[in-house]
Amino acid sequence: MKFKDYYETLGVPRTSTQDEVKHAYRKLARKYHPDVSKDDNAEARFKEIGEAYAVLKDPEKRAAYDQMGSQWKTGQDFQPPPGWDAGFEFSGGDFGAGPGGDHSDFFEALFGRHARAAQHAHMHARGEDHHAKVLIDLIDAYRGAQRGITLRLPVVDPQGHVTTQERTLEVRIPKGIRAGQHLRLNGQGGPGLGKGMAGDLYLEIAFKPDPHFRADGRNVYVDLPLAPWEAALGASVTTPTPDGPVQLTIPPGSVAGRQLRMKGRGIPGAPPGDLYVVLNIALPPADNDAAKEAYRTMAKAFDFNPRQTPKG
Amino acid sequence: MATQSTLAALQGAVVEEEVQLTLVELCQACCAEQEHVLTWVLEGVLEPAGNEPQDWRFSGESLRRARLALRLSQDLEINPPGVALALDLMDEIAELRAQLQRIGAGQ
Repeated sequence: MKFKDYYETLGVPRTSTQDEVKHAYRKLARKYHPDVSKDDNAEARFKEIGEAYAVLKDPEKRAAYDQMGSQWKTGQDFQPPPGWDAGFEFSGGDFGAGPGGDHSDFFEALFGRHARAAQHAHMHARGEDHHAKVLIDLIDAYRGAQRGITLRLPVVDPQGHVTTQERTLEVRIPKGIRAGQHLRLNGQGGPGLGKGMAGDLYLEIAFKPDPHFRADGRNVYVDLPLAPWEAALGASVTTPTPDGPVQLTIPPGSVAGRQLRMKGRGIPGAPPGDLYVVLNIALPPADNDAAKEAYRTMAKAFDFNPRQTPKG
Repeated sequence: MATQSTLAALQGAVVEEEVQLTLVELCQACCAEQEHVLTWVLEGVLEPAGNEPQDWRFSGESLRRARLALRLSQDLEINPPGVALALDLMDEIAELRAQLQRIGAGQ
């Protein structure tokens, strides 16, 4: 097990007051909150910050943590000394930083057993509803699909340690589903207590990043590069769509950034979305004499200054 | 492997299109206290159909908003008016990002 320096995580000195700890946490939490931050590591970072704060905000836990001494550094191998928490009285059952209790081994070793002592109640209650995010391919939304989805569920063993259990569900992805929507699977959430029913499982759908297509709600966007003469004179070009390539007529005089709408070729549904083809113009390189000559001929043929301010 | 293939695929309901939630169901689905949801309705974070809390029907979209509201208020200790403001601003950012993406500049 590796030691975690919670003071370092929050960027505060060991001598800081509770208010300073809180201030540092709030600032970092806003910065790294997964709902707000675009940072790729936001979620992991946010968990570390939350764990550090769960210990340092609580005077009891902070005192217990502090008495292990300041010689430890993050990442050092660490075993809690026997009886390290002797003489500390932990109050209440709610020790987690948030729901789920997804803390590091280090945290679990120090505070885990206390954290979960009070959770066994003899009663009948419906199980908790669970949530998970799943990534699907855009094409699955076009055609519908059946996908094996592996979920990791933190479970608490009788000693109060948290381990992860994997389970795989075969799930029908309905045609027409869009990113951000949720699928509800009845009875696939947490088990009920006593005779209570199991909770539901909610799957939040997101699309895997696609090199060509971008989905926005039910509409889909694709970039289509054109040669200058195709844009100027018009052309019929093969265009990729998630459902396979189609022939698309480019009107003469098309300019970069123009969007051609292919009605009903977005994500299916009632009504279906549209597919927008965003035109951009690729310049052929002038990398041989013939190409250079062609550009020179063009320059002579046009009285064209792209930097001229428009009239009016 | 044999057991895998005999498993029937689970059929889910698309919450945003096929599901309306009562107050109790919404609280259950996002592990929120009723009292929180009542405050968020008061602040305009959630807009259920129906007049009295026992008649309220929340759209599937409310589930996303309620979970977001819960996370923001728990993790960042934001009060309900702050949550309402944050959600409005996040909606606006999402709309602007979508606009950027539409013109192909969002990558």
